[in-house]
Amino acid sequence: MSLVNLAHVCSHLQNASKARLGLTSIPVSKLHVNLMMGLQREGFLSSVTLGGTAPPKPFLLQTTTDPEQHEKLAQKLSSEPWNAYPVPSAEDGTPLAKDPLGNEQLYQVSVPENPARRRLWLGLKYWNSEPVLKNMKLVSKPTRRIWLTSEDLGRITRTREASYVKGLTRPGECMFVTTDRGILEARECVERKLGGMVLCRVW
Amino acid sequence: MSVCRSVRCLFSAVSLPKPSSAPKRSFHASAPRTARRRRPHYPSIKAEDLKLLNQAAETQYPKYDTSETALLAKRYTPEQIAAIKAAESAIDARDVVTQGQNRTDPWLLPYEDDLAEVDPVTDHAPKLSPEDIPGKKTFREANEVERDEAIARIANENLAKMYPDGIPEGQLNPKQEQQLQEAMEAAFTQAALDPRATFYSENPAAAQALADTRHSIVQPDLPRIDNRMVRQTRRLSTEEAEDPRQKRLLQYLDWDKQKLRTIRVKTLVVHSVTNQTRMGKIQSLYFLTIAGNQDGLLGVGEGKSVEPEEGRKQSVMSAIRNMRPIPRYENRTIFGDLEKKVGATKVQLFARPPGFGLRVQHLIFELARAAGLQDLAARTPRSRNKMNVIKATWEALCNQKLPDEIARARGKKLVDARKVYYGGSVH
Repeated sequence: MSLVNLAHVCSHLQNASKARLGLTSIPVSKLHVNLMMGLQREGFLSSVTLGGTAPPKPFLLQTTTDPEQHEKLAQKLSSEPWNAYPVPSAEDGTPLAKDPLGNEQLYQVSVPENPARRRLWLGLKYWNSEPVLKNMKLVSKPTRRIWLTSEDLGRITRTREASYVKGLTRPGECMFVTTDRGILEARECVERKLGGMVLCRVW
Repeated sequence: MSVCRSVRCLFSAVSLPKPSSAPKRSFHASAPRTARRRRPHYPSIKAEDLKLLNQAAETQYPKYDTSETALLAKRYTPEQIAAIKAAESAIDARDVVTQGQNRTDPWLLPYEDDLAEVDPVTDHAPKLSPEDIPGKKTFREANEVERDEAIARIANENLAKMYPDGIPEGQLNPKQEQQLQEAMEAAFTQAALDPRATFYSENPAAAQALADTRHSIVQPDLPRIDNRMVRQTRRLSTEEAEDPRQKRLLQYLDWDKQKLRTIRVKTLVVHSVTNQTRMGKIQSLYFLTIAGNQDGLLGVGEGKSVEPEEGRKQSVMSAIRNMRPIPRYENRTIFGDLEKKVGATKVQLFARPPGFGLRVQHLIFELARAAGLQDLAARTPRSRNKMNVIKATWEALCNQKLPDEIARARGKKLVDARKVYYGGSVH
């Protein structure tokens, strides 16, 4: 678990959002993946996709049906709107009947066999021409890791300083903590009474 | 037994010099001042002065004479008169002269008046209630005969008011004749409009009450005050000097002058700047002014001119024009901590709990006060250039990230826990 690489990811995300990029990639590791999933859960990222050196097809372009198909679908739905409900499925997940609207389109991302060539592609978010993820800073450093108890985290989330870690005073500031239950946001740790090593703060 | 007590015992037998009234050992180099003689609470008055005083009091506050007591007896019951007499005898007229003073209590009248007369400006107009009308209070619409009769009677009354010495008779010059004609016309019009002409009542008191303004629910008009002082101090809005720049500003803001007066303006930075030309140096003055309405609007403006007044006005106008809304949490502090860097100046602003106050440096204090912030802390860790501090603070306050915006951007639901906890009654 190298925090050096995480530091690189932090600065890369800051630079990417400064450059107003829509999609960017970072090297793949279990730490990165879990942290990025946490960021997505908190709404900082729009998508997290495992892919190769080439970017995956953007989400908007993935499920395109040709216009004729679309027209048919619309007509069918307007005449029989109950078809919009999902098809009932059995307990093991297999659908009991055929979907009247046609099969769901699934997009396959080709992931290289060679792990060294894999990249994690992140969709960045912007709102009112401002990046949603503007700042991302490491709290634990590669040479000085910081573990916090849930009490410390409680104090920090209530904007107070604890164990030499500054409180979350900026509006909408988040802190991610790696615990034995995975990488969680600090407030979630407080809720579940978990302590752990602090990774980074995001705002 | 302490040391001093033992000493006292030792010396008690021996006759010691008595302590004088003056302190034996002075702690000061200067001579001690004797205690001031106590002054009596009331002045001592000589007998002949007292006689004069009694005379003055008697002339100023004379006793009731028999004619006055007779008048009082008409108005008041015997018990009330007894009370009045007791009060009169209890208060010495001499005391009123020597000790009488104006009231200072909170219930005193805001103007000087002995309350003998009804002043139409300061006092309520006298009112009469239906109980004051003796007899029956019924009336009906008058028929034509009664109406004509009433009009004639009222017109006569009105004419008598206009000509108290009687209507002039005999030969009249054309001017006088025209005057009389006009007066008669006015009297008749007034009589026709009088409610006594339209309605008829068996009870003459009820008929009189119809025309009595004391029975009307409409307040009588204030009297025209037309003395020299009022005329000289009266100002029309058109007479005021119109500043063209202010006029343009008002047009731009779509405000009126009244609203502009509520803006708090303060010039925070003044210094002279020099332009070096080939002819020589040109000195001019630079002004930086802030403007705020103390309720969430704040602006910063700059002005520069060779003439000081001109530059100041420029800066004031641009500050008011530049006013921008400042989002405030609970109308008292900011949303979270802010940081802004302008040039080498960095300003950090911190939100604080209610009652914390403005613990900030003077420039930021002025800005916060103009914007209506009450709880704030700040640090300026780097350069403290006055202009840059003001600009950085202003920009930081203007460009706050609001929780609602953050929630929309992240697609999360954010709730103000303080507001929910206190049931929305935090401010």
